[in-house]
Amino acid sequence: MPHNMKRTRLLILAVLALAASMVLVACGGGGGINEGSDNEDVPTAPGGKATGSLNISNWTYYIDPKTINEFQKETGIKTTYNEDVNDNNSFFGKVQQQLANGDSGGRDIIIVTDWMAEKMYNLGYIQKLDHDELGQVFDTMIPSLRDPSFDPGRGYSVPWQSGMTGLVVRKDLAPDVKSINDLFDPKYKGKVTLLTELRDTVPLIMAADGIDPAEATTEDWLATIDKIKENVDNGQIRRFTGNDYLQDLAKGDVVAAIGWSGDAVQAQADNENIQYVQPEQGCSLWSDNMLIPVGAPNSPAAYEFMNYVYVPENQAQIAEYVNFVSPVKGVKEVLMKKDPKLAENQLIFPSDEFVENCFNQVSPPGDEAEQQEVEQAFEDVVRG
Amino acid sequence: MTSIRQRLVPYGLLAPGLIWLILFFVVPMYYMGELSLKTGSLETGYQLTWAFDNYTEAISQYSTQFFRAFWYAAVASLLCLIIGYPLAYAIAFKAGRWKNLMLFAVVAPFFTTYLIRTIAWKTILDDSSPVVSVLEFLQLAPDGRVLATSGAVIAGLTYNFLPFMVLPLFASLERLDQRLLEAGKDLYASTAQTFWRITIPLTMPGIVAGILLTFIPAVGDYVNAEFLGGTNQSMIGNVIQSKYLVVRDYPEAAALSFTVMAAILIGLLIYIRLAGTQALMGDEEEAR
Repeated sequence: MPHNMKRTRLLILAVLALAASMVLVACGGGGGINEGSDNEDVPTAPGGKATGSLNISNWTYYIDPKTINEFQKETGIKTTYNEDVNDNNSFFGKVQQQLANGDSGGRDIIIVTDWMAEKMYNLGYIQKLDHDELGQVFDTMIPSLRDPSFDPGRGYSVPWQSGMTGLVVRKDLAPDVKSINDLFDPKYKGKVTLLTELRDTVPLIMAADGIDPAEATTEDWLATIDKIKENVDNGQIRRFTGNDYLQDLAKGDVVAAIGWSGDAVQAQADNENIQYVQPEQGCSLWSDNMLIPVGAPNSPAAYEFMNYVYVPENQAQIAEYVNFVSPVKGVKEVLMKKDPKLAENQLIFPSDEFVENCFNQVSPPGDEAEQQEVEQAFEDVVRG
Repeated sequence: MTSIRQRLVPYGLLAPGLIWLILFFVVPMYYMGELSLKTGSLETGYQLTWAFDNYTEAISQYSTQFFRAFWYAAVASLLCLIIGYPLAYAIAFKAGRWKNLMLFAVVAPFFTTYLIRTIAWKTILDDSSPVVSVLEFLQLAPDGRVLATSGAVIAGLTYNFLPFMVLPLFASLERLDQRLLEAGKDLYASTAQTFWRITIPLTMPGIVAGILLTFIPAVGDYVNAEFLGGTNQSMIGNVIQSKYLVVRDYPEAAALSFTVMAAILIGLLIYIRLAGTQALMGDEEEAR
């Protein structure tokens, strides 16, 4: 084949490809992230008779698999339970575009932490709840969880489990870590980790420095992030982690970490030296919440499931398995009969004294731009 | 005279690949390019404002991670070449009946996912592992640890991309005409001389391809730095990931992605210029 013919052919192909992509772009435009969104016209999820199938997205190790089977048997609702929430931010990144188009990706219930629930609701991604459909939920919900500041009266969220962020330590290797400030003791250089979640890590360190996280200004947040940066630069802090700090602790590569209460109970089963320590200056309290996203195909079944897990007997099974703080009244009494030792555990049923100094998890103050500035400053330290 | 049908055949053969690439490469690239020039937020929506400072800001702020990514990838590719060449050589010429088995061993890690293999390295390199004790004894692990250091990230990259180096090297070494080496000896060339003047030039396509296949994915990699690195080992891939998923600054994330792509592309063009297109295309007739 003559050389120039080859070239002509390539040229034609290139032009065709370009033309085709233009057409596709023209058809595909619109929607998505170009228009801003708000929650002015969020619908209320319809109730009714629960039949058909149910699709749930939750975090890993956050339910006893038996609960799903028994729910299916009892209600006849075919349930698909996905453990596809790994952290709030990545899950948001995964579903955001779909939700912006009013499509939940087939999900009827998603479970995310307080601040993310608020963010999603403000963007108009979450439906309001019909309280008439949630009789069981409001019969047995713990009173202190009924009026959170982000969703007074629980208009769109139902707590799944709660927990505490505090210290998780190896009591054989770091017996004297009692306060968040002990993490900065040079003795533990390179043996300390913090969490990648801004709202878990920064307020705890702030509180240890005597700043009230609820009142903290953007400057306070940035100053605390600077303090973290110093300790990153001098090698005190080994790295920032998600759930994986547990492996580091189990191996002894890390001796003290900021971590979550339920994890510590679960890890204790494998290594009894791993222990949750309530920081002297208090812990941070949070809940993960069940939400019905816009476009959820089967909200009646979602209501049915919410009510089901709020029956104390059913909830006890979950509490026994996941070891976080249960949002349901009467679970302790059920567990007392089955497993008294677990029912006495302060991490699952904390007494008022145990959480005396604790505060509700907070987000950085201000509008979105100010929050983003803080997020960015923290991320720059995490990914130095 | 060729019939119309015959002339259409090449287009027909190209169509599946072409359509696939347009749908999943060209279109997303277009959107990313557009996004990288927008300003706004999820709440307010994004407007195209031709915000080129997304680029300048991203580059000035993350130059450290940017250069680190290229540096790690370069060191890892070089290590892959140094480790991979003798290995490929041995498999091609000295393995005898073990050849297929050894090739299989090179590919075998792919039977496990990339993530699991990288996480396995955390166990291999944990602070109390024998490997680390030996390195500490040799004064190679100053703080008594290997994890969360540059060394760990580069080691992980080298390990993960080694097969991509060995396979093209093996392919070109195996095609090497042994008679040329014999001819070299007949002309009184030493073993080293035949190696540098015959083997290396003739296997250049393999070397060039191997370096491309390791370097390019290594620059964009974020898994190794995520799991094996610590606080000061983030690569540009980690920054982009966090921009997208954590900070949700989509325009700047898109701008960073484009900058990385452009940098790799320019690097690639210079590299091909230096190495020669023939070497890359494996056009051995011309290379000779």
